[in-house]
Amino acid sequence: MKKAFALVLAGMMMCACLAGCGEKFDSDKAYLQQQGVMKVGITEYEPMDYKNENGQWTGFDAEFARLVGEKLGVEVEFMILSDWSQKFYELETKNIDAIWNGMSITEEVRLNTSCTDPYVINAQVLVMKKDQIGNYPDTDSLKDLRFAVESGSAGEAALMELGITDYIALQDQAGAMMEVAAGTSDACVIDLTMANAMTGEGSNYADLASGIALSSEEYGIGFRKDSDLTEEVNKIIDELLADGSLAKLAEKYSLTLAE
Amino acid sequence: MQVLQVNNLSKSYGKTQVLKDVSFSLEAGQVLAIIGSSGGGKSTLLRCLNFLETPNAGEILVNGKPLTGGTEEQIRQNRLHFGLVFQNFNLFPQYTVLQNITLAPALLKQGSAEQIQQKAQNLLSQVGLSHKADAYPYQLSGGQQQRVAIARALALNPEILCFDEPTSALDPELTGEVLRVIQNLKNEKNTMIVVTHEMEFAKQVADVVMYMADGLIEEMGTPEQVFEHPQSEKTRAFIQGAQKF
Amino acid sequence: MFMQISWELLIGFWENLKIFILTLAFALPLGLVVCAGSMSGFSPLRWVTRGFVWVIRGTPLMLQLLIIFYGPGLLFRLPSLGRFSAVILAFAINYACYFSEIYRGGIESIPKGQFEAGQVLGMTKQQIFFKVELLQLVKRILAPMSNEIITLVKDTSLAHIIGVYEVIYVGQAFTKKGLIWPLFYTGAFYLVFSGLLTLLFGYFEKKLSYFRG
Repeated sequence: MKKAFALVLAGMMMCACLAGCGEKFDSDKAYLQQQGVMKVGITEYEPMDYKNENGQWTGFDAEFARLVGEKLGVEVEFMILSDWSQKFYELETKNIDAIWNGMSITEEVRLNTSCTDPYVINAQVLVMKKDQIGNYPDTDSLKDLRFAVESGSAGEAALMELGITDYIALQDQAGAMMEVAAGTSDACVIDLTMANAMTGEGSNYADLASGIALSSEEYGIGFRKDSDLTEEVNKIIDELLADGSLAKLAEKYSLTLAE
Repeated sequence: MQVLQVNNLSKSYGKTQVLKDVSFSLEAGQVLAIIGSSGGGKSTLLRCLNFLETPNAGEILVNGKPLTGGTEEQIRQNRLHFGLVFQNFNLFPQYTVLQNITLAPALLKQGSAEQIQQKAQNLLSQVGLSHKADAYPYQLSGGQQQRVAIARALALNPEILCFDEPTSALDPELTGEVLRVIQNLKNEKNTMIVVTHEMEFAKQVADVVMYMADGLIEEMGTPEQVFEHPQSEKTRAFIQGAQKF
Repeated sequence: MFMQISWELLIGFWENLKIFILTLAFALPLGLVVCAGSMSGFSPLRWVTRGFVWVIRGTPLMLQLLIIFYGPGLLFRLPSLGRFSAVILAFAINYACYFSEIYRGGIESIPKGQFEAGQVLGMTKQQIFFKVELLQLVKRILAPMSNEIITLVKDTSLAHIIGVYEVIYVGQAFTKKGLIWPLFYTGAFYLVFSGLLTLLFGYFEKKLSYFRG
């Protein structure tokens, strides 16, 4: 098993080398402008990148990427990453030019990409029935709750961090919310962005509310290591912050901008 | 002595009347052959006598006593006056020949296990199949299966043994062995009712022949009367038609 | 490490076995009840039963499982049944419906002459069923039943969608830690168990091959 895997990996690396060695550009910006297109690696999820009724990509990150593309003078093309764990590899082999998909800035991301300044902050928050949420003001009060989380999510990591092991891990965050709505779990831990979009007045889960944050994270855009695009895009972000266009987007998609 | 009397028996399926006011009687030790074309009501009559069908009207008397009562248990008791041998044998496939014969007497507790066993062996030798006691039905020919079915019916000592076209499902060369068994039973003074298409057999074995058509007894009498001097036009036409073959 | 992971998966598979055994324990007799309903002479009961069987067989078991587990809380604010009980309830109802149709097919395929032969030999209905028809019925339904029961082995994996700690759940937990092979390795547990069942049914089939019909 391991051997076969190594063999495949070696094969892929060779291909990568051949592809990468074809043409050398000192500047990523020049490469993009020569190609006339920036390939943005995404996965499909609301409210960052999803398709509207016409089949067009929309969402906070999609619109944000188009604004940046405009400033760079290139078209933006969205590429779905079928396997999120392969994202750095896709970037390095120039299958994509940026990872731009509500990506949390982690140590792993810092090591493998050249990451921009954070543009949005997110948190893993507690979601419960509205009438109970007031009873849980801090992390110490959570010990006896029955939790549901998405398996392998940041929410699950946050619970483990707190030493809470009695939880049910489900396929996705929506499933975790259904558990709370049905009363089969007391609480779930999900993204702040999702909690904002799906709970409260006028949403599908009007009787659920979000409470304290268990952990927080910042979103950044990953470019190739040593890319000059990082600096360039940081400047553009500042401009978009200054002229209020990012604030408008953040409001449209119920997100919180980074300071 | 009169063993069976049937009075005004009628049976309908929806709007179709299959038996219309049928009445007749049978003496002990006699063999009644019922002939007639398909759909004439022969099989329905036999099934009514065995309480597989419930007649709409009429009564059945055995030894002068009417067989009445509608509960499941009463019907079950009434059935025991009659035995029935089916056209397609209906042996129980999971039991050996001997077990097929002993099953019902054992369930009805008609004697000790040894007695029932012994009697079954005797019946088997009577139909010439002692050597097949431990065989399963699928290992027998049609004629052999039918002979086992006859032994199975006899095991309960019915007062009247009925046969519903006992040779119709058999290859022609196998009918003889079954008919011979019925002939032997007649010689031992068994009372029998045989629904049959075998005209020669009816002529030779029957004491009384009944011709049924359209749910009615068209004609009834000795073989000579019915076959040689039929009174009704319908009977004559049927007999002539049957003799062409 | 292999032994450690095998052991953890085995603990997970024990949950699958419990689901399997309890489902059979409830669904085999419940199937007879459903079968009696769908063959009833009382036509309203017959049509209601057949309608129910149609709904259960016509929708995915996964959906039934979600409805039974989440439905009471979402629709009526009732307390939940508990994960494991919900799985057993959903599986027992689903499989009872499948079994009932197999029973019905088997009963209807036994020639009427067998019943009538029993009747004219003075047997009671119970005697005819137990002494004459039952073994023939068992022989006739053995093949479709073994199919359905082996399908049940694999269906037990559905329990993980409502967070029951069965073998697939355990296997998936490993993939989150970067170990992919345990998930595929779970297949071996299903294979071994369904292999044993295949042998068992083959044995029964051989046992019943002494007669035909």
